[in-house]
Formats: sequence, structure tokens, C-alpha cells
Amino acid sequence: MEIQDSKGKIVKEAFPSELISIIGDILAGIVLSLLILPFDSFPVLILMIPALLSLRGNLSGPFIARTSRDFIIGHFSRRTWIENVLATYTLSIITAFFIGIFSFILDLILFKLFILPILYLILIPMISIILTLTISIPCSTGLNYLVFNRGLNPNNIVNPVMTAIDDFSTVFCFFLTIIMLGVP
Amino acid sequence: MKIFKESIIIVILSSLFGLISGTLLSSNEALLTTIPILLLIIPALNSLIGDISTVLVSRLTTHLYIGTLSPKIQKSKRLKEDFFGLLITLILSLIALLLIGYIVGITIGIKIVNPFLIIFIITLTILLIFIIMFAALFFSAIFLYKRGRDPNNFLIPFLTSLADFLTPLFLILFIIIFI
Repeated sequence: MEIQDSKGKIVKEAFPSELISIIGDILAGIVLSLLILPFDSFPVLILMIPALLSLRGNLSGPFIARTSRDFIIGHFSRRTWIENVLATYTLSIITAFFIGIFSFILDLILFKLFILPILYLILIPMISIILTLTISIPCSTGLNYLVFNRGLNPNNIVNPVMTAIDDFSTVFCFFLTIIMLGVP
Repeated sequence: MKIFKESIIIVILSSLFGLISGTLLSSNEALLTTIPILLLIIPALNSLIGDISTVLVSRLTTHLYIGTLSPKIQKSKRLKEDFFGLLITLILSLIALLLIGYIVGITIGIKIVNPFLIIFIITLTILLIFIIMFAALFFSAIFLYKRGRDPNNFLIPFLTSLADFLTPLFLILFIIIFI
């Protein structure tokens, strides 16, 4: 129990999941430094990436927590899952739209680069977060189901594993989006 | 609708924090091109400090609720165990991160510049942010708990964004100072 946790126990439990997370994030870093850095529009693209990673964390983290909770308390059903999925997609589309608008404003006021038109600045975060969630939602739901059915607590396992998968897929889907849109 | 209403403001606010972090990176594009290993490990550094801080808030909140930590700004054995437990986890994770990062960097042919100085700067940045976060989150958790609020609900959503903002800020600041 958490009450008696010694520093040794904290290290033993937290370090392995942190290691998984590091590997996923290094893979995200590879995509960033090898595939996204060479783009001419890199100064504008790098503006959006931390916001998208934050958005991904704030969407899939609670999605996983709600799904785990529903499994644990026995409330998981097709209806609760669809509600959860719809809320997550709606939040992602609205917030991605704001990221695009604010990126445009920052470019207009601070950077004055004007490499990408406003439509691209809105479409890039929207398409990449939708693609990311389309990978993340089925993966995390499946993982939640497997972990729960094996009698383990999904809260302790699913989130760190999904952080690694999600951070990589966010950056990779971002890369796919800019390729699809033909961003310079 | 309930999920949407409860989350929309915090999600938009934290994305704005992310954009500030992006502005920092974008303004220092030359630095990222000169020291490309930074770009390789920045997502992992952000994630590391965010994860450790999230564990800290969850633990502090649990201790406050079950009474193993009194809601007063004072030293205690419990607090020391948490501090050193998380500090050791952070140091071990940082060693693993730097090892994996540099091995991957060399393997994929990324230009390695001033490795020892860069490792020193990264270590200094992460330890400094950990100390700042530990103190700030401890004070905030007690403040919120005393006002009948659940520190988990208020502090965790801000953590990732704060970590995303502070990590490149200190990293860039120290690189400018030391290099």
C-alpha cells in the first residue's frame, strides 16, 4: 500500500514504466529530428508539436482513465464507450482548431514567416490529432480489456504503456499529415 | 456532454501552454539545428518530468486524504521518503534516457556536439525543474486540500503543460549561459 511505500518501493514500481515511456518518446524524437527537421516550414511546424503532445496527453489520459474506471466498477458498455469516444473526438477537433488559429496569430505577430496559409495551420493539427486518436482509442480500449480480464489493475499498466505509444504516434501522424497536405 | 463541459477549458488552456513552449522552440530553431540531439530527447525529457510530477501529486493527495501527511508546510519522514524515492527514479530514468538517446543518436547518424557539456546542462535542467516542481506542488497540494479541493483534479491537468514549458525554457537558458 502507498502508506508504507519506502523510497526503494517507489523506485521499483515507477522506474520500469518510466523506461517504457522513454523508449516511446525517443522514437518520437527520431521522427522529429530525422523526418520533420528537414522541412522548410519547420519553424512553424515546431510551434504546433508541443501543443499537440499536450492535447494528446489531456485527451487520451482521461479517456484511458474513464475506460479503466468503467471496467473496474462494471459500467463498461457500448453506450458508455461511444459517449466517451464522441466526447474525446469533439474535444480534439475543437482544440485542434484553436491550436491552428493561435499558431496563425503567433506567426502573424511574432515570427512573420507566412510559410503556411491559415487553412494548413488549421488542418495540420486537426488531421494529425484525429489520426492519432484513431490509433490510440482502439489500442487503449483493447489493452484495458486485456489487462482487466487478466485480473490486473488497468490504472497502473495502461497509461504508461499508452503514453509511449501515443507520443510516438502523435509525432508520426503529424509527419503523415504534412506529407499528405504537401507542406513544404 | 458532461465530459465535454468539464474538460474543454482545461484542454484548450493546456494546449495554449503547449504553443508557448512551441514558440520557445521555434524562436531557437538555430540551436535545435546546431545541437540536433536536443530535438531527439526533448519529448522524452518533457514526458519524464511530467510523469514524475504526476506521481508526486497523486501520492501527496493520497497521503493528505488518508492522513499520513499533515496539511501543514513542514518536513516529515513521509515527505522525505517520497522526495528521495522520486529523485532516485528521476536520476535512474535520466541516465537511461541519456544512454538510449545518445546510442540512438549515434546509430542514426545525428551530429553529436559537446556531449559532456550537453549532458551536464540536461542534468542541471531536470534536477532544477524537479526541485521547483516538488516545492510548488507540495505547497499547492496543501493549499488546495485545506480549501476542500482535490489537488489531483486541479494540479494534474496543468503539470504536463508546465513541464512542456519549463523544460525547453531552462534548457535553452542554460545552453545560452554555458555555450
